[in-house]
Amino acid sequence: MMSMQMSETESSVKVAEWQQTYYASDSGIQSGATTVRDDEESEYSKKHTVSSATVVESSSEVDAQYTLTRAQRVRAAMFPETLVEGEAVLSTTQSEPGQQTNVQRLAEPSQLLKTAIVHLINYQDDADLATRAVPELTKLLADDDQVVVNKAAMIVNQLTRKEASRRVLMQSPQMVAAIVRAMQSTSDMETARATASVLHSLSHQREGLLAIFKSGGIPALVRMLSSPMESVLFYAITTLHNLLLHQEGAKMAVRLADGLQRMVPLLKKSNPKFLAITTDCLQLLSYGNQESKLIILANGGPESLVYIMRNYNYEKLLWTTSRVLKVLSVCPSNKPAIVDAGGMQALGQHLTGSSQRLIQNSLWTLRNLSDAATKQEGLDGLLQILVSQLGSDDVNMLTCATGILSNLTCNNARNKALVTQCGGVEALIHAVLRAGEKEDVAEPAVCALRHLTSRHPDAELAQNAVRLHYGIPAIVKLLGQPHYWPIVKATIGLIRNLALCPANQAPLREAGAIPRLVNLLLKAHQDTQRHASSAQQTYQDGVRMEEIVEGCTGALHILARDPINRGEIASMQTIPLFVQLLYSYVENVKRVAAGVLCELALDKQSAEMIDAEGASAPLMELLHSTNEGIATYAAAVLFRISEDKSSDYRKRVSVELTHSLFKHDPAAWELAHTSVPLEAGYMADELDGAYPPYGYADIPMDGLPLDADLHEAYMPDMGYDPRQGYPEPL
Amino acid sequence: MNREEAPGKSPEEMYIQQKVRVLLMLKKMGSNLTPSEEAFLRNYAGVVHTQMSQLPQHPIDQGAEDVVMAFSRSETEDRRQ
Repeated sequence: MMSMQMSETESSVKVAEWQQTYYASDSGIQSGATTVRDDEESEYSKKHTVSSATVVESSSEVDAQYTLTRAQRVRAAMFPETLVEGEAVLSTTQSEPGQQTNVQRLAEPSQLLKTAIVHLINYQDDADLATRAVPELTKLLADDDQVVVNKAAMIVNQLTRKEASRRVLMQSPQMVAAIVRAMQSTSDMETARATASVLHSLSHQREGLLAIFKSGGIPALVRMLSSPMESVLFYAITTLHNLLLHQEGAKMAVRLADGLQRMVPLLKKSNPKFLAITTDCLQLLSYGNQESKLIILANGGPESLVYIMRNYNYEKLLWTTSRVLKVLSVCPSNKPAIVDAGGMQALGQHLTGSSQRLIQNSLWTLRNLSDAATKQEGLDGLLQILVSQLGSDDVNMLTCATGILSNLTCNNARNKALVTQCGGVEALIHAVLRAGEKEDVAEPAVCALRHLTSRHPDAELAQNAVRLHYGIPAIVKLLGQPHYWPIVKATIGLIRNLALCPANQAPLREAGAIPRLVNLLLKAHQDTQRHASSAQQTYQDGVRMEEIVEGCTGALHILARDPINRGEIASMQTIPLFVQLLYSYVENVKRVAAGVLCELALDKQSAEMIDAEGASAPLMELLHSTNEGIATYAAAVLFRISEDKSSDYRKRVSVELTHSLFKHDPAAWELAHTSVPLEAGYMADELDGAYPPYGYADIPMDGLPLDADLHEAYMPDMGYDPRQGYPEPL
Repeated sequence: MNREEAPGKSPEEMYIQQKVRVLLMLKKMGSNLTPSEEAFLRNYAGVVHTQMSQLPQHPIDQGAEDVVMAFSRSETEDRRQ
């Protein structure tokens, strides 16, 4: 119980002043005048009767009053309108006219106070009266009688309507604390509403916010979020919102008071404006705070937020909700939950409206979520909208559209086919052309094109579309300086896919793809060699040079399918490097190196060069690779470079091949060893005569006699004639 | 390479079988064959027929897999409107 502490002199002065303004008589508060029964009392009583309409009417039931409790008597004196039916009206127990009861004497200060407040309300500039009212009201708010508390609260609520009195209230920490206490301890709904309303009113000024904050208002307001009264909820959430917006320390206090756990369930309410404030509170609390995001997740936040996006039209609510989703979308735990709740589809509904801020927030959120949404279904509409947004000049929109498309086409054949079919290739090419040096647009656009050009039924359609929409020169240009390595890496992969389409081989060559790829390969390889001694891997812009080596070699492998291209590739002295790459510790590098050598070896000159570089040794090793692709390429290169070799060499190759082939079949190996006279029976020299020159002569290369029988289907029971010797490898 | 043939096949048979397989694998992976290699396959059409069903059904050499880009590494500053 707080009360204003004043010195006696001060108090007397104040009361005197008070008297001069409205009252001519002495209430007795200081002088004790009313404690004496005299003519002055009567006069006072009369005056009091005249000036106030709230004086208790006299009653002749003297005995009744003595049976009422003190609280009841105070209540009757102050608030006669609250008397319960059946209760006796409190009488003045005046055995004589003019006589005051003891209770009346006690109630007088409060009566005066009440009257004063009514006057105060009508005189809004009079802050002094409010100042005097505050201590009493503060006391009354702590009264045991809930009715008293209720009335005091309602009076204080009235006071907040006027600026001057409101200011006085917020300047009294005791008053604010009393309001807070009353609010959280009352079981009366009206008191709760009135006190919550008071705090709400105070929360529009900085001073009021501070007073609420310092009085422990935040935990109390958080508790009120569980109130069944809509008005209390509204006041509580709005007050908290103001605190979160403008009061330092409020966020921490709300979090500590378990505010998030109380707010998230409120997302199931149906008032759009209420939801807008609640979602904004969630955004303020969770921005940059991982723990808050996890609490929202644990309380079912993603599902409720997605529900709002799907079912409401109120723009402000959609905007605030999209902001919360954006904040949550960077959290690795919330991301899959939002996606699983249908977040992609829900956000995708809001990309074509008139609210730019909603569109942009939705796009950023979709972009953040997209890497977790590659397996989502029902995104056809979203994909089509994104393709159309590729025509935008807004760089933010372009950044988001390309990024989302890049991720949604990742390893998803259905999405790839859809985007290809609705003009995605052309739109992406234009985005690349417009991106210029904006890597955030160019990189995802190129990645998206790379995805579209492989691993789905319409890949060939996409490969052709790039050429038909004049995309090849622009794409090859991306390999040029200055090198932003993520874009270079993505472009190399795209070129490799484009080369899968035979019709693209010449345009790629004409655009200068081969020399650019070769130079990049050399540069990257030199870089890896420079750092080979140290354990550290080289990264440039987050890309390892080993990835560039692999990518370039892989692209050149596919380009080498074209005869003119492979001539150009071989002419750039690449063979020694490819042979060196056969020794790489990276399996993929070995694979693409063996692959490109396999293509190059189709040309005799190149085959000789490959052999001259000592490729046989590493290739023999690669025959044993568990990677079937590697073993196949290695075998093919060996076949092709052993065309002109001596019989010993060919024998060695065939033995090695057989060895690797029989690696897991010891019985067959044994059989081969015992039944094939590898030395004496190997009539390689004899067969040399029948061995045609290397090249494209159209005769069987197996070295066996050209017997008509042999042109027929192979008969398993033909049997092996050791005199024939071991068949010649090609 | 198929190393699990039934015992009893001669080395020559094994060799032809494996060579056919290598050439078929090359074709499957999109590589070119020389005319003489193509002729070899025509010569051993029966082996080709047998081997075709034993080739791995999954794609062997399709280049690098698609990789997602992680855009949500950091929280962007939010402008209140």
